[in-house]
Amino acid sequence: MKLLKPTWVNHNGKPIFSVDIHPDGTKFATGGQGQDSGKVVIWNMSPVLQEDDEKDENIPKMLCQMDNHLACVNCVRWSNSGMYLASGGDDKLIMVWKRATYIGPSTVFGSSGKLANVEQWRCVSILRSHSGDVMDVAWSPHDAWLASCSVDNTVVIWNAVKFPEILATLRGHSGLVKGLTWDPVGKYIASQADDRSLKVWRTLDWQLETSITKPFDECGGTTHVLRLSWSPDGHYLVSAHAMNNSGPTAQIIEREGWKTNMDFVGHRKAVTVVKFNPKIFKKKQKNGSSAKPSCPYCCCAVGSKDRSLSVWLTCLKRPLVVIHELFDKSIMDISWTLNGLGILVCSMDGSVAFLDFSQDELGDPLSEEEKSRIHQSTYGKSLAIMTEAQLSTAVIENPEMLKYQRRQQQQQLDQKSATARETASASSVTGVVNGESLEDIRKNLLKKQVETRTADGRRRITPLCIAQLDTGDFSTAFFNSIPLTGSLAGTMLSSHSSQQLLPLDSNTPNSFGASKSCTEPVVATGARPAGESVTKDSMNATSTPAALSPSVLTTPSKIEPMKAFDSRFTERSKATPGAPSLTSVTSTAVERLKDQNLVKELRPRDLLESSSDSDEKVTLAKPSSLSKRKLELEVETVEKKKKGRPRKDSRLLPMSLSVQSPAALTAEKEAMCLSAPALALKLPIPGPQRAFTLQVSSDPSMYIEVENEVTAVGGVKLSRLKCNREGKEWETVLTSRILTAAGSWDVHRQVVVVKEESLHSILAGSDMTVSQILLTQHGIPVMNLSDGKAYCFNPSLSTWNLVSDKQDSLAQCADFRSSLPSQDAMLCSGPLAIIQGRTSNSGRQAARLFSVPHVVQQETTLAYLENQVAAALTLQSSHEYRHWLLLYARYLVNEGFEYRLREICKDLLGPVHCSTGSQWESTVVGLRKRELLKELLPVIGQNLRFQRLFTECQEQLDILRDK
Amino acid sequence: MAKVSVLNVAVLENPSPFHSPFRFEISFECSEALADDLEWKIIYVGSAESEEYDQVLDSVLVGPVPAGRHMFVFQADAPNPGLIPETDAVGVTVVLITCTYHGQEFIRVGYYVNNEYPSLELRENPPPKPDFSQLQRNILASNPRVTRFHINWDSQEDRLEAIENQDPVLGCDLSLSYTPVKGLALPGCVPSLLPENSMDCI
Repeated sequence: MKLLKPTWVNHNGKPIFSVDIHPDGTKFATGGQGQDSGKVVIWNMSPVLQEDDEKDENIPKMLCQMDNHLACVNCVRWSNSGMYLASGGDDKLIMVWKRATYIGPSTVFGSSGKLANVEQWRCVSILRSHSGDVMDVAWSPHDAWLASCSVDNTVVIWNAVKFPEILATLRGHSGLVKGLTWDPVGKYIASQADDRSLKVWRTLDWQLETSITKPFDECGGTTHVLRLSWSPDGHYLVSAHAMNNSGPTAQIIEREGWKTNMDFVGHRKAVTVVKFNPKIFKKKQKNGSSAKPSCPYCCCAVGSKDRSLSVWLTCLKRPLVVIHELFDKSIMDISWTLNGLGILVCSMDGSVAFLDFSQDELGDPLSEEEKSRIHQSTYGKSLAIMTEAQLSTAVIENPEMLKYQRRQQQQQLDQKSATARETASASSVTGVVNGESLEDIRKNLLKKQVETRTADGRRRITPLCIAQLDTGDFSTAFFNSIPLTGSLAGTMLSSHSSQQLLPLDSNTPNSFGASKSCTEPVVATGARPAGESVTKDSMNATSTPAALSPSVLTTPSKIEPMKAFDSRFTERSKATPGAPSLTSVTSTAVERLKDQNLVKELRPRDLLESSSDSDEKVTLAKPSSLSKRKLELEVETVEKKKKGRPRKDSRLLPMSLSVQSPAALTAEKEAMCLSAPALALKLPIPGPQRAFTLQVSSDPSMYIEVENEVTAVGGVKLSRLKCNREGKEWETVLTSRILTAAGSWDVHRQVVVVKEESLHSILAGSDMTVSQILLTQHGIPVMNLSDGKAYCFNPSLSTWNLVSDKQDSLAQCADFRSSLPSQDAMLCSGPLAIIQGRTSNSGRQAARLFSVPHVVQQETTLAYLENQVAAALTLQSSHEYRHWLLLYARYLVNEGFEYRLREICKDLLGPVHCSTGSQWESTVVGLRKRELLKELLPVIGQNLRFQRLFTECQEQLDILRDK
Repeated sequence: MAKVSVLNVAVLENPSPFHSPFRFEISFECSEALADDLEWKIIYVGSAESEEYDQVLDSVLVGPVPAGRHMFVFQADAPNPGLIPETDAVGVTVVLITCTYHGQEFIRVGYYVNNEYPSLELRENPPPKPDFSQLQRNILASNPRVTRFHINWDSQEDRLEAIENQDPVLGCDLSLSYTPVKGLALPGCVPSLLPENSMDCI
């Protein structure tokens, strides 16, 4: 074992309360007291590990420091992914930090270049809920939750996918809560508090599982922290400060029945922190020794107020090592490196120590695969099913595969260098606003600067925005969460469909642009440095007369001038001429608020307008939202427009799906009535630009009235639908569109097919109502019911198929996030997405992630994904079919389901040698199956386990290509 | 946390004649949109002897301030020579740029300013009454002195609390004064008394 105290890791002598090593082992964070605030510092790890790096002046030691916490920082913790850092402090706040990649190294202004921040970490979320100091924070094993505990006696569980959402507040402690730890399989979270209890909470329902008090009965006094820890195999929970026979101990609590029979004894003062090594070890196999299989064991470090540190192996009855006098004051926190061979320890005395163990001392760490096997055998659920470590031993059998793997590595390298380039050129990137270089802007800034006068005559400058912050991670990724309800859903659908199909609607892209600019109003304000204020220079001449600030300090007369100035630099002016400035501030604030409101009011309208082409529509859309149970009919109308024959054969196809019984139908054209049995609905063909009303009546109490107006030029039809059923009348506005001919869909056939179907099978015996009816661009009718289910009509089978169910437990349990290529990929647009509602349910998934046995989880996920593929197929949405198929395949690859994967490949590949009797079709929803398979291959190639399948498919595709 | 941090202050048109206006190009970064305007001030220290001679050259409101990086040029007239003590007119003094939010000052940037006659002749034989039209102002732009203060950025009600919070030493060193009552009671290690897996190396 090697021991090192890197003296350069310090907070200028101020206490360090927390230390945490980044999962990738390249850096670590410390948290504690700063000069006059809390302080978080991110340090480079390599100077700790290697002496050469420590001496090399070109290798930075400090990467970034953040003094944003108002008061002492008690805890810093990296997320398991390493993407985020959470810090909690005495200012009652938790801050979540993320690295900003677009800004290169920068110096803190006025620090004469000494404190350059090599990396830029910025606060992306501030979590406010605690009413007292935050003592400890902890990320759940899969980063879905963040827990924090505080002296306000509570533990708060935050939704880490959607900050600052609070999932639960755990109340029950009657004293200051000072430590938290998650169970490695995510079933429990444990907290320890000053109320002499340790409580274990279930993550299933966030209720108390057990409260353990006996080992803490004798505990007196106070320790600053009580950082407890759960063993990596999940079997043991070890508490901080406990007492046994008047001696301070670290209590071992067994998961099985929460028994408290063992403890770590020997420290002379209270145990402040316990930290398990993330690895599970097994005995080192020495040459010549008997190959007796030994039990795997864990390793645990214990730090105490007596300033000593002990490291234990659960297979030994005595500690592996005890180090006394390591610090001058109490140990505050411990962090292991991910490889389990090094630990960093920090102390209240403001110093940090690093211990480096060898494998001879600790044993052989189990691979992640073995570890997950232990988890799986014990809990049926493993956290790491497919890891790279597991694959590193596999032999690559196929040169193609090798090539592919190499390419993958190369791509990763390229990506890295690309991001490196990005950061390198960051200054130039940020230095350009609206095509102007920063230099140009600076030259003209004074002239362009917008300057106004407030009501009381004060000058007010509107600053020029030169860069956005990339803090919107949590919001922008979900900017599509605009509620897709009512008429908006209709317009969204139409704009989407036209985006995919027809470049007809020139406004369509704007609908996205508008929604985007909603989230970034800054550009708009910043980009308007109007030239009005050119003459403002002259105004400066008459600007505020110089006023004397009231003097409070009387400086002694015989002081060196420089020294006298010194105080002026640092001392806040005691009395700011606050009264007038305050009033002016509030008055301008009101003004500003108004401005903002105006903008806000405008935005949605902009959005509507741009996506729905006309003002009238917006105004017309309003009444529709008045009726609660409304029937909305999306009428897609085709206008086959051929050259020279304007609208001659334009057709209007209103579909009335609510017709339930044979009845007389009246179609009214202006004043003319047309009667026909409902089952043989005839479609009126109105002349261009003529409004007509279609009336369908089955019995006197039920009729549907459709009113259409064809606008003169726009090609947009506004339709109003009146539906009267059981004496109630709803009025809705139909949004319909005349589309220039694209694709060759036989609308007639669709309509005819639909007409013959009754909805009895779906609606029978319940009081559900049809809440929405849509027609996709492929002419597939989709019907939303009031109970959240959606059906689509399958023309080939002549049945209504369930495509979406809001209450579907499958959708809620399915977890395929690991298979998503990126977060954005969730948001695949198309009819299916619209029907199912685009709300990201990853939070919901996460909430159930650990509560379901893994096998069940797998099954539900598979079923869900299969359903999605099938639904996309029925909807004939090729784009979505491809999306879900790839997702399904990726999931199969990740989870290792060879049989199903093979089935997919077989179908996509088809018969290699032509046989006449083959039923195989080469395309599916307009996509060529073999092209799909080609897309699938790289996905399959990601898992070496499937290299044979990869090879087979590859070879057969090659054969086909050569033919 | 501080919502606004000053990234840079560039001193424009430096050096310049005494009577020409001050121009500072200020870039700052805001982490969360501010509800109200920032108030910036330029204060010219007339004499090191006393704050009595301080002149607020100008104060200006800056807003609206959404999250992001922003910049603006703050221009203010030269100080009124009549308010500067004759003995302090020539030589080194200080100009301060301060920024306040809700009336609370959170940053103060100070520069040394040297006022001197550019011509050697006047420098050696200065006129008995300072000739301001001849003086040249040179701001030591390379060495700003920046002092940051923690203020409350949130609603006005919390402000008192924030001021209390500013003495963090109180909050953090509390535990130092506590000693575990029973932790001291273990005189040494008597192996037989301790549970099996005890640490006997103490």
